[in-house]
Parts: sequence; C-alpha cells; structure tokens
Amino acid sequence: MDSAHLNATTMNATCPACGLLCDDVQIVIHQQTIQVRNQNCSKSQRFFEQAQIVTTPKIAGEPASLQAAIQHAAQLLKAAKAPLFAGLSTDILGFRALFNLAQKTNAAMQHINAQSTQRNLRVLQSAGWQTTTLTEVKHRADVLVCFGTDIVTHNPRFFERFIWVKDALFCDANQRDIIYIGENINTSAGISPTGNKPTVLACNTEALPEVTAAFRALIQGKTLKCTHVAGIPISALSDIATKLKQAKYGVLAWVAKDLDFPHAELTIQNITESAVLLNQTTRAASLALGGSDGDTSISYAHTWLSGVTLNDAPIAHDCMVWVNSYSPDKLPKDANLPLIALGQDDSGFEHAPDVFIPVATPGLDCNGTLFRVDGSVTLPLKKCREATYPTLSAILSQIEVQL
Amino acid sequence: MITHLKNGMIYDPAHQKNGVKEDLYLFQGRIVPKPLDPSKITQTFDLTGKVVMAGAIDMHSHIGGGKINIARMMLPEFQEKRLQETKGYTEPEAHVCTPNCSHNATPSTTDTGFRYIEMGYTAAFEPAILPINARHAHLEMGDTPMIDKGGYAMLGNDDYFLRLLHQNADQKAINDYVAWTLHATQAIGIKVVNPGGINAFKFNQRRLDLDENNVHYQVTPREILQKLSRAVHELGIAKPLHVHCNNLGAAGNFQTTLDTMGASDGLPMHLTHIQFHSYGTEGEKKFSSAAAQISEALNKNKHITADVGQILFGQTVTASGDTMMQHLNAKHANPKKSVIMDIECDAGCGVVPFKYRDQNYVNALQWAIGLELFLSVEDPWRIFLTTDHPNGAPFTSYPHLIRLLMDKTFRNEAFAKLNLDAQAMSNLTSLNREYSLYEIAIMTRAGAAKLIGLNDCGHLGVGAQADITVYTDQPDREAMFAKPDYVFKNGELVVKNGKVVKVVWGATHTAKPAFDMGVEKGLSEYFDKYHTIQLDNFKIADDEISDDGRGRIIANPSKSNQ
Repeated sequence: MDSAHLNATTMNATCPACGLLCDDVQIVIHQQTIQVRNQNCSKSQRFFEQAQIVTTPKIAGEPASLQAAIQHAAQLLKAAKAPLFAGLSTDILGFRALFNLAQKTNAAMQHINAQSTQRNLRVLQSAGWQTTTLTEVKHRADVLVCFGTDIVTHNPRFFERFIWVKDALFCDANQRDIIYIGENINTSAGISPTGNKPTVLACNTEALPEVTAAFRALIQGKTLKCTHVAGIPISALSDIATKLKQAKYGVLAWVAKDLDFPHAELTIQNITESAVLLNQTTRAASLALGGSDGDTSISYAHTWLSGVTLNDAPIAHDCMVWVNSYSPDKLPKDANLPLIALGQDDSGFEHAPDVFIPVATPGLDCNGTLFRVDGSVTLPLKKCREATYPTLSAILSQIEVQL
Repeated sequence: MITHLKNGMIYDPAHQKNGVKEDLYLFQGRIVPKPLDPSKITQTFDLTGKVVMAGAIDMHSHIGGGKINIARMMLPEFQEKRLQETKGYTEPEAHVCTPNCSHNATPSTTDTGFRYIEMGYTAAFEPAILPINARHAHLEMGDTPMIDKGGYAMLGNDDYFLRLLHQNADQKAINDYVAWTLHATQAIGIKVVNPGGINAFKFNQRRLDLDENNVHYQVTPREILQKLSRAVHELGIAKPLHVHCNNLGAAGNFQTTLDTMGASDGLPMHLTHIQFHSYGTEGEKKFSSAAAQISEALNKNKHITADVGQILFGQTVTASGDTMMQHLNAKHANPKKSVIMDIECDAGCGVVPFKYRDQNYVNALQWAIGLELFLSVEDPWRIFLTTDHPNGAPFTSYPHLIRLLMDKTFRNEAFAKLNLDAQAMSNLTSLNREYSLYEIAIMTRAGAAKLIGLNDCGHLGVGAQADITVYTDQPDREAMFAKPDYVFKNGELVVKNGKVVKVVWGATHTAKPAFDMGVEKGLSEYFDKYHTIQLDNFKIADDEISDDGRGRIIANPSKSNQ
C-alpha cells in the first residue's frame, strides 16, 4: 500500500480474528491508532484496535540487535536434530516461508489448532462429506441445526451476515428454522428479527455422540425403541429429522473446537453422514465453522506444498520455533528446550524464549492472504498501519541465509 | 551467451518441419536466428540423431485449486508410500521420481512441476477454476515450479450469469461479464461444466438434458452454451469455449454430445474429456462405445475440437465441478469416500476416488473408447492428448498413452488382456493407425498452443519462447517420452537425462480482452446485496501473482472477431 492510502482516514479491512474473514470492517486510522467503525463484533474490534507493541528482538529475555537474534536463531536451528515449527498462527505468505525453512532444516510442523482441525480431517479421510459454503447458506438454508455450539462464540457475526439477511435469493430468511442441540448454549442470536424463537434440545456435551447417533438413525428412517436419548425425547429429535427431510436445503453445522471430547470425529461423522443421507431425496449440507489463527489456510497450504495434511500426533523434538501472530495469549508448552519465538509479543512467556523476534501481523501491519473457514474463499489481508517490524518471511529468509 | 543445439531432427508442425535436420540457437530465453558472429556461442549440444520438439503443453490438467487439494486431504493413503521412499534425498533430487514413478494422482505442487518437466512438458493448464476460488488456484500454481501455467474460469452455473439469462440480458452484457471474469480471475479461457446442471442440483434437480430447463431460472443448457460461446468468440478470446457436456459418464450420453456440437451454431467450441461423453446403450449391459458416431461428427464439424480424457488402469481420483453427476458417481467410490460441495452461488465440486480395473466391463470399454476416438479422429490439430488428470489417470501416464497410440502391436497386446465382454464390444483391433512423431508433436505442442492462443509456445520458429525437449529416438516410445535427454525452459537447461538439474519458475498465461467497465455497476450492486465478500476482493491483482519474485503474468493477445 502506498503512503497516500495510509493518510486516508477510513478503509475497508479484512478481519482475520475468526474463520469468517469479514471483509466489510470499516476502520478509521489516525496515525498508528485504529478504530473499528461498525462495532458489531468484539473480536474484530479487539484485533484492529490492539495497541502496537513496542519491543525489540531479544536473546534470553535481553534486548538484542535483529542481526544478533537472527544469528542466534540460526545457530539453534543448526544445532537441532529434530526441530519443531509450532503455533503456525500466520497467513499463507508467512507459512510458505515457514514451510521452506522447515524443509531446509528437516523440521516437523504442527498448528496451534491441530486437535480441532484433526477432528474434522479424520471424518474427511474416513468417509468424506457433503458440504456447503457461506454464500449458499445465506441464500438457501431454510433449516439450520447447530450441534453442540452457539456458533457466535467463535464466529460472532454468523447470524447477522448469513442467516437474518434482507436479501436471501431462494428462501424467506425470516422464516428460517433454527435448532440448537447441546449444553449451555447462548441461543439469542438464533431469534429471528420477527421474533421467532429457535428450537433448543438440551443435552450434555458428552451426550452428543449418542444424540447424534440417534439423530442419524432417525434420518435413515430407523425406528428407535427407547423414548429418550440423553434426556431428549425421541419425538423431538424425530420432528427435526422430519423438518430436514421436508426442507429444501437443510444445513447441519458444528464447531470442532466445541466438541472437545475423545473421538469427537465419530460425532462429527454422525452429523456429516446425516447430511449425506438427506441428499438421497432433498438437498442438505454439512458446515464446519469456527476457525482462527489461520488454521484453515495453514492446513490447505501445507497440503498442496507437501501433498499431505498436518496432524495432531505428539512430535518429539529438540528445538522449537513458535510462530504466533494472532493469539499472543496462547503459549507453547514449557519443555525446557531451545525456543525461538516469532510474533507480536513475548510478555506472556513464563521463561524468556532463547530468541524472540517481533514480526508484522498480517492484516494489520502488512498484507497477507487467508482462507475463510468454508475453504473455498481466499481473501487478501490489507496493511492498515505503518509496520515497525519486518514480515515473518523476511525474518525467515534471513535465518535461512545463516544456516 | 548463445546456446547452440546442433544437428537435431526437428519436429515442428507449426512450420511443417517433420524430422528435418536443423540447428537451433537460444538467447535470452528465445529462439534466435543463427548468429553472424559464431564466437557468441558459449555452449553447444550435439543432438545428432536426437528428436527435437518444442516443450509439450497440457491443455487440460487439474493441477491447482480447491478440488485437487480436497483430494490430497481426503486421500493421505496416496502419499504415504511416496513420503517414505523420498525421505533422505536432498534437493533437487528430493523431488525427483524414484525409478518406478509412483504415478501419484494427487502430487504436491512441487511434484507436479517436477514430474511435468521431467517428461518434457513445459506448460499445463488448469481447466476448472471456480472464479470465487481463483485466488486459491493461483496460489497453488504459484507454488508449482518448472512449468508455465494458466487456467480456464468456470461460468454458466453461477447465479449472476443465470440471472442475466433469465432477464434476457443482451449479448453485450454477457460479453462484458465474461471478459470481466477473465480479468478478475487471471484466466486465459472460459469453461462451462454441465451447463446449468451444477446450479440445478442445488435446487434438487438430479439430471439436466441439453434442452431441459433449470427449474429455477427456466433456461436450458443450450442457451447457456450459445451465449457463452458467442461471448468468447466476439471478445476475441483465442481459446474456444471449453465445454464439459451435460450427462458426463452416463450410458447413452453420446446423443447429448452430438446435440451439443449442434448447439455451437458454427462457432468454435472445445469438447473436453470427450471419452466420458461417448457412451451408447447397446449390448446386454446397456453400455457401449459410441466412439464411431462421435469421431464421425468431429471429422465433419471442423469448428469443433476435443481432448480425449483417456482412462488408464489403476488407482486415481476424479475431481470435477460437476456435482450433479459426481453425486451419482459417489456410489462407485474406491476407496469408499467422497466430497460433494456446493460453492458460493458460483459452482460446486465433487471429488470421488476411482480404481479403473481392466477386468471390469465398463472400465475396460472406457479404455477402448478413448483409444478408438484417438485413432478415428482424422485431424490431429483438433484432438488433444489428455487423461483429464487425474480423472482418467495421472498425467505421469502420458508416455504409456503415447506408446499405445504409436505402437499397434503394443496396443493390441494390452487390448487382449481386457475383460472379454468389453473386447467383444470394441472395434479397436480393426483400427490400424499408428500416430507418427509429427502427429504427436501436433497434438501435444503445435495444436495445443494454437488452441489456447499461445503464439510464442509450441513451436521452434525464431522468436519462440525457448522451451525445447530433446529425446532419443527409441522403438519403445514409452521409454522415449518418459525420459528426455534434455529439456530447456526459457533457454535454460533444466532437465538432463530425465532429471531436474535446475529449479526455475514459469509464467502464468492470461488473456485480457477489452470490455466496458460499466459492467461493474451491476456487479457491485449484486456483490453488495448478495455476495459475502467485497467486489474488490474478488479480483486478483497482478502483483498477487508476481510480487513474490518468482511469478510472472503473460497477457496473450486477443483475436478480433467482431
């Protein structure tokens, strides 16, 4: 971006704070301070309005020159036999550089959201699925079932942008049926502008495996002998199955992070296979939501660059490169091994990393590219303020030269 | 500074050179005339007895974008073996095929570039870029080394276009939208997949014939084809409309294919992976070859071109925008899993793994049908060598396919091993044709370049991009085409004895026909109201492709047809 743009007071920015990647966020820029104008999302507000952290590269917690920090990082990497690149909270451009350096140093990689990503990948790799994307949801979904999630905790603007819209092309948005199944769910976003309340079937999160299994059986047309499952009357589940069979385009949504119990992939598979069954007679689709820290992007880019997906298996290592541009509150496990940290801030670390190098945050301090959570849309991130720090790829290429 | 390629046998159909002994001179990435001052020649390759062709061009190969990446994610079993095999190699050998190439159906971007260049291919075109997914496709192609690339943008199932048709918009409005899409997606051609059918599937229609209405928009595939092919023609886009017909893979679909040729109204049209659209309903199993009818029609209709989409036996994965038909095919998935996806009021995708088996009646006949088409279509300038990678087979099977075309004995031996019922239903052994080196050079070089509109590629004339492949003339054509002696990319030696010796990055070919920017008025209203991203973010800026220091955009000239 040229300086003329930077002098401008307002611009539309793309928000990387959650998987929805809203690109209609109006921000007002006064020098290095940013204000979000459309204040309908606490996550985007927090992201854009964060203060620029004034810090320096550090070696063992002591300020150091960038050159010295880079050199030390390169030495640690050279000495390591099995480095691990972790966190990976960055964008595609940053990840390309990480992947390149990982190849050069024979490093393994794991994303901060590996566990939740893997819950979905296990289903994809075992059975596949039938899915949809957000614009289709906006125009077609006449029934939406949220399994074990309120969605808005992760994607605050989901209902505003894709459900309670003015201009749905192929259905009456106000008449949408919203159904929640799960525990302690904030269902207020599911109330239609005309006051229609959502259906809520309450059950413990741990009961979702059996509830979704019963649901799948009902969709399949099976008769269940019991009257209740996990406290939910079968008749209530059966009503939802009927609604979906009569719907033109039912959408079955979940957020993998909220399904935090062992073998959650089997629950997700109950949801996705229900969507597949519905498609024998009508149209329906499953929809994985949530997403942040560039997880979809890193998963995709790693796949095309290497041919395989990342996973969540524990990785033995003797040195860690921790990359975290979006969630400074998340920290690596303290393993008493050499640690090179690249990100916004090092103030959260209990023990100072061996090397810390501040890097520009994509979508705030520099341009970037990210995938939306539904996987088909890729958006450019814009530089919103003058950067104080170099980009991740600039730092990594300097480390590479020293190897 | 000048590289001298001495005494090679030149096969350059664009200049009617059929095995002529001639020298070539390469300078700054181009083929140049013989230098007046011989001292400027800094290296000489003695190619006495060698076969010299332009770098090959794959005009239809799914090398980048959402579908293939979904296939990679869904099918880790395709990669695991290879990962074990290549551990411990160093660059560039890390990417070089083991002696028995794994023929991986879903190679990584790096492997894609390396496998292509090792076979002497210097360009490949992704034929199915969903406009909304174009940025992803270019990211992957940007990570594909060694070769030039480009893509065709898919239209004809997007709600914006179908609304235009439904509202009886005039041809100019369609033309502007088509041209705008080409610019926005950085593509070189326009493709339509199951015209209207991907969209109709979202309204729960399960099949769509050429003259059947999309239930919502009340428009037919025929109207979609006519509007789009006229737009492509009037805009002067060199690449004819790339058509994946309705009824892919269905027994009896040859009639749809013939009718689609009829719908072209005499305008250029390219029918892709036509093997999958040449099926009759004869015989006990109600599945037969209609290659004779299709090739007869192709021979007659000089404005129609086609690529074959040959199947070869083994494990692969099919990846298509055709959700309607892939949803039907999902029951044949092997391994048993598939992805069907509706995408962004734009199109969709269906990814279904497949194992083609020579003892399976349908698969065996599909194999024979593809070869019947190759051998019965007379004009090699209008038929192209593809496997619809990876749908019919991985592109790494091309040397094998070339041998099937060039060697009748080899072909008939392979045929004799097929399912017997399928053998009884094919006339393949009665087709005696064997392709010549000259004809292979047409199909895979000169013809492909001419079709796409790449004036500087696919030939060896002065001024051409110096993409050159040198083979040893061997009776075993598979061995010959699998391992060129040398490949030059933009004048640089990048492959020696079938192995990459230097890593380079190719360009992205685009077409940028002129259009009325007024089209953005309607588009921006549509985006604001209906889309979920901003219009400006839909468009891919040049620097997104070229800014990383290794990508480069080539805007190929348009024709003037109006």
